[in-house]
Amino acid sequence: MLISYRWLQRHVDLSGISPEQLCNDLTLSTAEVEGLEPFAPQLTDVVVGHVVTREKHPDADSLSVCRVDVQGEQTTESDLLTIVCGAPNVEAGQKVAVATVGTVLPGDFKIKKSKIRGVASFGMICSARELGIGEDHDGIWVLPDSAPVGQTVAKALEIDDSVIEIDNKSLTHRPDLWGHRGIAGEVAAIYGRPLKPLSLDWPELGQEAPFPVHIDSTACSRYLALPIDGAVAEPSPAWLQWLLLAVDQRPIDCIVDLSNFVMLDLGQPNHTFDRNVLAPEGIHVRMARSEETLQTLDGEERTLTENDLLICTGEKPVALAGIMGGESSKVGDDTRSLLLEVASFDAVTVRRTSAHLSLRTDSSTRFEKSLSPTLPDQAAAYFARLLSELQPNVRFPSPTTDLGDWQDPAFTLALRPERVRADLGAKIPDSEIISILERLGFEISHEGDSLKVSVPSARATKDIRIERDLIEEVGRIHRYDSIAEENMLASVKPPPHDERRLLVRAIQDALAGGARFNETVGYTFIDDALLEKLAMQDLPHVQIQNPVIQAETHVRRTVIPNLLGALETNRRLHEEIRLFEVGKGYLPEKTNERGEPTELHLAGLVWASPPPLAKASFNENRFSQLHGVVHTLLNQLKVKDFVWRSAASVPSWAHPAKALEAVCDPEGEVLAVVAPLDPGLNAGLGLDGDLSSDVAIAEISLDALLAAPHRASHYQAVPKYPGIKVDVAISLAEDTSAQSVEEVIQQAAKAQLAGVELFDVYRGENLGEGRKSLAYHVLLQSENKTLSDKDEQKFLRRFEKMIEGIGGELRKG
Amino acid sequence: MSDHTALLAQAQEQVQASDSLDALKGIEREYLGKEGRLAELLAQIPTLPQDERPTAGREANRLKQAIVEAVEVKRAELAEAGIAAERSGDGFDPTLPPPRTERGSLHPITQVTRELEDLFQSMGYSVLDGPEVELDYYNFEALNVPADHPARDSHDTFFCEGDGHLLMRTHTSPSQIRAMESFEPPFRVIAPGKCFRHETTDASHDHTFHQMEGLVVDREISVAHLIGAMKTLLRGIFHRDLEIRLRPGFFPFVEPGFELDARCPFCENGCSVCKKTTWIELLPCGLVHPNVLRAGGLDPEEWGGFAFGLGLSRLVMLRHDIDDVRHLLANDVRFLEQF
Repeated sequence: MLISYRWLQRHVDLSGISPEQLCNDLTLSTAEVEGLEPFAPQLTDVVVGHVVTREKHPDADSLSVCRVDVQGEQTTESDLLTIVCGAPNVEAGQKVAVATVGTVLPGDFKIKKSKIRGVASFGMICSARELGIGEDHDGIWVLPDSAPVGQTVAKALEIDDSVIEIDNKSLTHRPDLWGHRGIAGEVAAIYGRPLKPLSLDWPELGQEAPFPVHIDSTACSRYLALPIDGAVAEPSPAWLQWLLLAVDQRPIDCIVDLSNFVMLDLGQPNHTFDRNVLAPEGIHVRMARSEETLQTLDGEERTLTENDLLICTGEKPVALAGIMGGESSKVGDDTRSLLLEVASFDAVTVRRTSAHLSLRTDSSTRFEKSLSPTLPDQAAAYFARLLSELQPNVRFPSPTTDLGDWQDPAFTLALRPERVRADLGAKIPDSEIISILERLGFEISHEGDSLKVSVPSARATKDIRIERDLIEEVGRIHRYDSIAEENMLASVKPPPHDERRLLVRAIQDALAGGARFNETVGYTFIDDALLEKLAMQDLPHVQIQNPVIQAETHVRRTVIPNLLGALETNRRLHEEIRLFEVGKGYLPEKTNERGEPTELHLAGLVWASPPPLAKASFNENRFSQLHGVVHTLLNQLKVKDFVWRSAASVPSWAHPAKALEAVCDPEGEVLAVVAPLDPGLNAGLGLDGDLSSDVAIAEISLDALLAAPHRASHYQAVPKYPGIKVDVAISLAEDTSAQSVEEVIQQAAKAQLAGVELFDVYRGENLGEGRKSLAYHVLLQSENKTLSDKDEQKFLRRFEKMIEGIGGELRKG
Repeated sequence: MSDHTALLAQAQEQVQASDSLDALKGIEREYLGKEGRLAELLAQIPTLPQDERPTAGREANRLKQAIVEAVEVKRAELAEAGIAAERSGDGFDPTLPPPRTERGSLHPITQVTRELEDLFQSMGYSVLDGPEVELDYYNFEALNVPADHPARDSHDTFFCEGDGHLLMRTHTSPSQIRAMESFEPPFRVIAPGKCFRHETTDASHDHTFHQMEGLVVDREISVAHLIGAMKTLLRGIFHRDLEIRLRPGFFPFVEPGFELDARCPFCENGCSVCKKTTWIELLPCGLVHPNVLRAGGLDPEEWGGFAFGLGLSRLVMLRHDIDDVRHLLANDVRFLEQF
């Protein structure tokens, strides 16, 4: 909201307080000032000139050659400036606004000495539009005769002003501050200066029958109507125009300008109707019917619902209550008989209508803050008095109609001065507490140890509710920056052991550390196209009603789409990509009793690189390696007795035949899934052709990890005797699993087995069709002795026999 | 006899001339090997007359001894020369760059969050997690923002499809109520996490960002305590004392509510970060509104508290001079690997 410094001075004496000081103090006590700008700075650059002579340009009929005095007293003929002017209305004797050579006008337009059709010109006589203060471009701007020649126009017209911009958000809770009078009240309280009295005396009202009004909705608690006759839609006087211009309101005509002025001064919106178009039965305030329409002043056809409040005449809607008038009852240039409406409309109703029509106006912004219903008669009297001052011929034929079921919201609250001091942590004496509240318009009486505080109507609608609200009033005027810091006197306990957070950190550290992955943090909203590329579009997702980007309506179920999406963008720049994210996913199909979707806490990993070379060894692919990373991680996290098996349910992104899952309990939660990317998805993700990739993905459930049994951290004795390493290679049928071979190794080695490691997988003609060879390092060790060749031979003999049991054959040599 | 002398001289000459351990080994083999020249000599001994044999044997052994000695001396010499050559560093280029050693990285948001968690934990705060898809009740209703409150406008909320009770949390403040529900007072808690605002994205706004909520509930909490705690907090973040000021700020869940400004830590006379004002708006805070305490099941006459919110995304940007907030969640490896 814009506030004019000069306007404020109508209500409070600001002498000795600079605009800068005022802004600083308002920021520290009331609301955030976002900006301070001089009003129309160009008017301080142009000067008042007197057109001494005007002659026709010798070579151009439409141009005038003027001799202009811009110095005032003691000007000699030679001091006059010659200025060529194209405006039709320039005349000798006029006072005009002159931009001399060197002046810069709005639009970075620098005035230079020039030659116009052979005549040298030393400046420009300006129009209002050239000065950025109006639309009038028909001719030059003629100043009043009283303007002193040579002075800046701003000074001559006494319109030097500063415009203060206050952050609207910081006024959300203050319906009383949406006008200059309200801000002036704050200023008065801050500096302890009196607020100038505001004359709200009614002009003389006639005795004709009051204008008929019928209120048919609780959303209108007060409706005040005042008929006006003989008003003329002429331009407003300069003082009014300048104040409106300062706060960025375009002056229109006296009636519109006054309506705006009253709103911007007192904060109470109001509306004028052309009384001639109103039906004899008068005004009817009612809720709209579904699908009813109204053409508003901006020319838009609005379709309404049963929750919108209408001002009607007869059956016909003439205004959207508290938001905007209707086109049909607009006050035109010839309108002489008006009806002034000043009303109290329900904040929520106005807010909802304004929201569903996406129609926010100065009026709706104020109503939705809950204005006091005591304001309408003040605003109406103010309007009537100002209008009768500006247009003495105006008549008010009848008394005001003032209806409605409103009540003065003013009430009293008990305030304990002790509580003020305790909550603020400052020793503010009772006398200061009382003084501050009184300056803010509260009335105080004593009641035992506490104060009885009368809350004025303007503060009582919403803003001030409880004792703490009054404490804030005292605190902010006392000023928070004058409160000294204090340390809390409380015992500090160590916070409880936080398993989840420790787990998150352990995972992040392991992956970003030894595993060399880059951690990512992704958006929760997933692009529809990406979900489709991942074949996830048919899974249930929490959906966003009002996305910023139309295609981002899905709340992710897992972090995997983000990671695969990141591959798409990074694959061109990097051969080897290792990414992980620890984050949340949401499942709408499983909700709790409060309707919250199930939240999954997940870690996702993706590892991508160009495809392995043909001669790469069996585990030089990203899937095997990622499997290793996750396996090592689970071990590092001390998960007890987990095993890998083929995934019972394969995620959409996973290779349908190769997905593995880790579980502790065969019936229990899946701890982790590791899989190569489903080859069917490569092309969609742009991972084919030149970017053809070997991509592996893993998803780890933090919830399952937290629930899983964990190994105790017991040290194991370092072996006393060295072990022996025996290498075995076994030829097997293709469909015999590695696991079954390892079981045989275990049985054959008995208690001596200290380690098994697969180091080669081989397929070749020499093995025969449908056969493969697995080669293992087997470590044998004993607690009692150093093992010998004999022990090795014994093991091999046992193994050779046992492996035949699963169709295997020990390869020799 | 003279044969021996000549042989020795020849051997010594060859040994002396050898310039590597390999060459020396060759010479050694030539003279002392199984089929070497000395072996030849020794093989002839049995063919000599009986009485010459002992002398010939002794002579041969003496010869062998002498050659062995020459070889050993030379070997030591060569070994030493080899070490000396290694140590000379000939051909070493000290400007040769090291090979690239790959490493992983933690996201800068993680790093700053951890730093703050550790700082707060050292002051007795617990860390609380909260859902990103949140109930209207926690995000607004329980925080003293009833339906149709104008303050909802400034929150630019993403709503979830359904009966209107689910939304994307617009701040971490719902954690205040969740904390009151799960901890016995007095307690101190922080809640970092992702938040969402329905805004158009530009260099300084993203619809998804990170915040950290703080809440202290205790008996007799005052504005002065809040100021003290905030100063301590800023000392922890910026590692020095910063002048701060509180000014009114409106947040329905605190009363009184403040904006806390700190003297710009990056300049003395105004810079682009503080927009030439020498103050930077750092965090909103305030005393917990009695209605919020009540919603959390606490009696406002018995318990009080203060709450604050820290913009984690903003802190990350300040910390690393990041000029565009959109880098944070873009997951460009060229960005990530810098941290």
